[in-house]
Amino acid sequence: MAKYGMVIDLLKCAGCGACGVGCKTQNNTDDAHDGQTFNWADFCEKIEGKYPNAKYTMYPTLCNHCSDSPCIGACPVSPTAMYKSENGITLHNEERCIGCGMCQQACPYSSNMDDDKAARYSVISMNSHDAEPHARYRNPNELIKGITTSGAEIAKKAGRTPPHRTMHAHPDYNSVRAKEKAEKCIFCEHLVASGQNPYCTQVCPSQARVFGDLDDKNSAVSKLLAENRNSVVVLADNKGKTAKPGSGTQPNVFYIRSFSARK
Amino acid sequence: MKIKRRDFLKVSAAAGAVAVIGGPSLNAFAQTTAPKKKAMGEAAGEWIPSTCQGCTTWCPIEIFVQEGRAVKVRGNQLSKANGGYVCVRGHLLLQQTYDPDRIKTPMKRTNPQKGRGIDPKFVPISWDEAVDTIADKLIELRRNNETHKYLLMRGRYSDHNTILYDNLTKMLGSPNNISHSSICAEVEKMGRFFTEGFWGYSDYDLDKMKYLITWACDPLSSNRQIPNAVTKFQRLLSEGTVVAIDPRMSNTAAKAHEWMPIKPATDGALGVAMAHVILTEGLWNKEFVGDFKDGKNKFRKGREVKEEDFNEKHSYGLVKWWNLELKDKDAAWAAKETGLDRNQIERVARGFAKAAPNCAIWFGPNMQPRGTYSALAMHALNGLVGATDNEGGLVTGMSAPSSSYPKFDAYQDDLAKAGAKNKKIDQRGYKTFPNLASGRPGSGVSANNVANAILAEDPYDIKVAIGYFVNYNFSTMETGRWDKAMAKVPFFVHVVPMVSEMTQFADIVLPSALHHTEDWAIVRSKANLYGHISIQQPVVERMFDVRGAETEFVWLLAEKLRDKGFPNVYDWLHNEYKDPETGKKPTDGLEFAIYATKIRSQKAWDPAENKDYKGDKPSGWEDFRKKGVVNSPRFEFRKKWGTPEEGNFPTATKKFEFYSETLKKALTEHAEKHNTTVDDILTVTNYEARGEKAFVPHYETQLRHGSRTEYPFDLVDMKSRLNREGRSANLTWYHAFKKCDPGDVNFDDVVQINPADAQKLGIKDGDMVKVTSVVGSLTVRARLWEGIRPGTAAKCYGQGHWAYGSVGTKDYAKFEPRGANFNEIMVDDYDRLSGSSARNGGFTGVKITKV
Ligand code: SF4
Ligand code: SF4
Ligand code: SF4
Ligand code: SF4
Ligand code: SF4
Ligand code: SF4
Ligand code: SF4
Repeated sequence: MAKYGMVIDLLKCAGCGACGVGCKTQNNTDDAHDGQTFNWADFCEKIEGKYPNAKYTMYPTLCNHCSDSPCIGACPVSPTAMYKSENGITLHNEERCIGCGMCQQACPYSSNMDDDKAARYSVISMNSHDAEPHARYRNPNELIKGITTSGAEIAKKAGRTPPHRTMHAHPDYNSVRAKEKAEKCIFCEHLVASGQNPYCTQVCPSQARVFGDLDDKNSAVSKLLAENRNSVVVLADNKGKTAKPGSGTQPNVFYIRSFSARK
Repeated sequence: MKIKRRDFLKVSAAAGAVAVIGGPSLNAFAQTTAPKKKAMGEAAGEWIPSTCQGCTTWCPIEIFVQEGRAVKVRGNQLSKANGGYVCVRGHLLLQQTYDPDRIKTPMKRTNPQKGRGIDPKFVPISWDEAVDTIADKLIELRRNNETHKYLLMRGRYSDHNTILYDNLTKMLGSPNNISHSSICAEVEKMGRFFTEGFWGYSDYDLDKMKYLITWACDPLSSNRQIPNAVTKFQRLLSEGTVVAIDPRMSNTAAKAHEWMPIKPATDGALGVAMAHVILTEGLWNKEFVGDFKDGKNKFRKGREVKEEDFNEKHSYGLVKWWNLELKDKDAAWAAKETGLDRNQIERVARGFAKAAPNCAIWFGPNMQPRGTYSALAMHALNGLVGATDNEGGLVTGMSAPSSSYPKFDAYQDDLAKAGAKNKKIDQRGYKTFPNLASGRPGSGVSANNVANAILAEDPYDIKVAIGYFVNYNFSTMETGRWDKAMAKVPFFVHVVPMVSEMTQFADIVLPSALHHTEDWAIVRSKANLYGHISIQQPVVERMFDVRGAETEFVWLLAEKLRDKGFPNVYDWLHNEYKDPETGKKPTDGLEFAIYATKIRSQKAWDPAENKDYKGDKPSGWEDFRKKGVVNSPRFEFRKKWGTPEEGNFPTATKKFEFYSETLKKALTEHAEKHNTTVDDILTVTNYEARGEKAFVPHYETQLRHGSRTEYPFDLVDMKSRLNREGRSANLTWYHAFKKCDPGDVNFDDVVQINPADAQKLGIKDGDMVKVTSVVGSLTVRARLWEGIRPGTAAKCYGQGHWAYGSVGTKDYAKFEPRGANFNEIMVDDYDRLSGSSARNGGFTGVKITKV
């Protein structure tokens, strides 16, 4: 069985945001609210040094699909809702999830953004306990009465909520997750299963994101890691700290080379 | 049993251990639903081609449609311009299509009072009533013999603009088809035109390039081929050299090998100093420019050179340029002017020239007073190293085939012919507006001056105006003038998908179809050495009664005008726009739109017409629709060079001009028209050069509004990589990724200032600050950022809407903006040689105070 991971080439990456928005279109994640970002693919920006020698780095982020994933250990239900799939993906079973938020507390890459002001992103987001997701497309208010449409109306006309919802199926999760649930990047398993790359990889114009089997020495990811042994890092938190691969929760998303070509 | 997350966390914290909580009761709860077997994978759908116009790249795209809904976007897999990728903005078009605040019906205002913050009290009306009213107003103009008082303002457009913007305006008898182009990007063209006779935007051979200088632009986020730039940059970053010249750390600057944080508006100084270095060190391209007859370099600092000593090849006037401008201006001098490091200037000039001709200066809009001369200096460098029209350099690029639109002339009556001969409303060609587009005095547009002209009624007043996909009350500098001007126009029609600031002044509003998902059109562009013609077609069913602005609206109007006794427009459309496949005449607006689309693209898809074409050849209309794009063959280099005896550049000398005879001719023509001298023209248009210097690329100092003592900061206007022009602010994804603009933050609008400056002013990161120019003040959040040159303040365009949707506006009912639109405090000024508006170069000084 494979052990899936991703290598992101920072020199190739333009910090452009396409993976972030692309993921939203593929996985129908909600707008940010209540301290939750709902950006499964997001960004961690870092600036070091002072003008004019300041060096800027943009790390595109997602779930690290850690080998030692505390999000699973923290999950109180049994079998756990957050679980490790045989292929290495940290999957989330929506049905079993009780929305307790323990996984978000345990994951070093996740925060409630309202509480943790230093956090740049959060891998895990928690759906509201009260409101259905995609509130904007449930809102019947018209900006100008009788003249402009409303979120609710346009969703109804289109036939889905949200109207641009990409329909896909997976035994563990729905294409839009229900209220009172946790949600995060699942490496687009519904695409991977049919031989496609994760969507963020598909849309990256610089082909900076390479997805593949870390156990297979001949895979593109393994080769990239071997070739870039000197520069490879993983993220250590959601604030821009980096570490050597294999440390901490043993993330399986790796960053190679440097965002800036400047020495 | 239901456990609220918050309560649960309280329990968990109290118990101190997860295991305790994960007890049997919870597990039992979780297991009440047994797992079901479910298939895995994406539901079926279809990728349908269209074209994105989120920026001027005009990418061929495909939209994934499931259940009749647009759900995903990618670059057209057949496109050679974008390699099958869209930039980040491309994905945003889904939210634009399904914007909760779209207009679903025509409407009219019931409040006769007009002004910023005055509720128009719109009420819905039918298309029939709306177009009937418009037709009445136009007939009235005809009756009063004042058809020239009709004004058409064009924003984003397709090829079909020929119908509404050009032909219809003339058919109605007005000269006033006004394009928006000069408010954000025309000076750039001056740099190429008055050196090599090319009025347009460059393309680049990024695959073969070794050294790239991006100057006054950020190709990874804007400037005309974003997906291709993002794809191709990596090779240059690994194997070549990239230098970014910009006072702020743009995306390109963040990644580049060298960042040159230049003092705003000193680009000309850097340009001529680089030329000085290249010449004194003998690094110019001998094959293109030529050499000294005796082979010995006589370019030495401070020394004049004799013209007869130099044997010039494909260029003209190098020695004149040296003598008039370059000889004293070395890197040490430029370092003082530009605030850059002398060694860096020399290093970059050398590196660039040594990579010649596989190098390029990719320069941006240069929209600043006197900007023409900095654009000239930038492009002159491209000539000096022989990079223009050359492999690994920059080129004019390719275009793809298109057929002409049917002629309208036979249907234009005498009244209309006479009316169309009036002066244009924007005052182009006035003594202070030479507007030398394509070298023709008085031909370029000065869109932002239309507000002044309307207010002054000079050359006359405007009685009926139509604007489509345009929002001057937000997108122009010193925006408040447009609030006054539009309040003065007695009858204004806005044809738009969304209500915006300009809509507040409309008497009639017509909901237009979105170009990328709902309309029929043809768009042409180029990138990556290929040109393309690309289709726009409805990929989803229209959810409301929206119509194509450039076609269906014109058809409806034509019908109404016919019913009111002016059949010419209808006859023209009905008789001439026949289906090229069946010969059928259109019977309604939609048929007309489809036929127009077929007609324009016929050369690309009709086997009878494309059989000898070297690019893509679809087998017919249906095949073209299915593929969506026709790519041209690849660009061929050095066609413009000609031979040293006979150049092929479309300039006055047929050569690449370092001394611009072309500019001399145009300026002289303009001066003669006004019975004066070129020097007088230069004086009244605010340039510093006099005499011969006006014809060579040279350094003009910054023209600045506001004294340095009172307004110490240079304001830098930056563009967001998420701006679908000015139309992204109501899209939540824009706000969720705003930090992808380096220095900006999510869910807010900020002015970037250097921490060293902030400290002096007692400003902390996140403080609200008041930013004041000579024309106004705005309050916005301060972001302290090491990526900005001290003494400058950068503010991104795009937010600060006071009437654009429920997200874009903080409180629409009160017209309370979200963020700040710095256009409001930028001064209305021009690079008058081109007629373009100033928005770059720190020409607006500001002071910043803590509130
Ligand atoms: S899409 Fe690719 S280039 Fe753009 S930010 Fe993501 S990883 Fe970087
Ligand atoms: S990043 Fe967080 S959520 Fe993802 S596997 Fe690691 S611990 Fe779990
Ligand atoms: S929120 Fe769901 S996945 Fe996370 S710990 Fe609780 S039950 Fe497990
Ligand atoms: S792998 Fe899929 S779910 Fe994860 S960030 Fe990428 S697109 Fe989103
Ligand atoms: S916004 Fe511009 S670059 Fe991006 S996809 Fe659309 S046309 Fe292409
Ligand atoms: S701001 Fe936008 S709409 Fe206006 S001229 Fe520039 S590109 Fe065109
Ligand atoms: S200002 Fe906007 S439209 Fe103009 S060149 Fe830059 S990105 Fe393109």
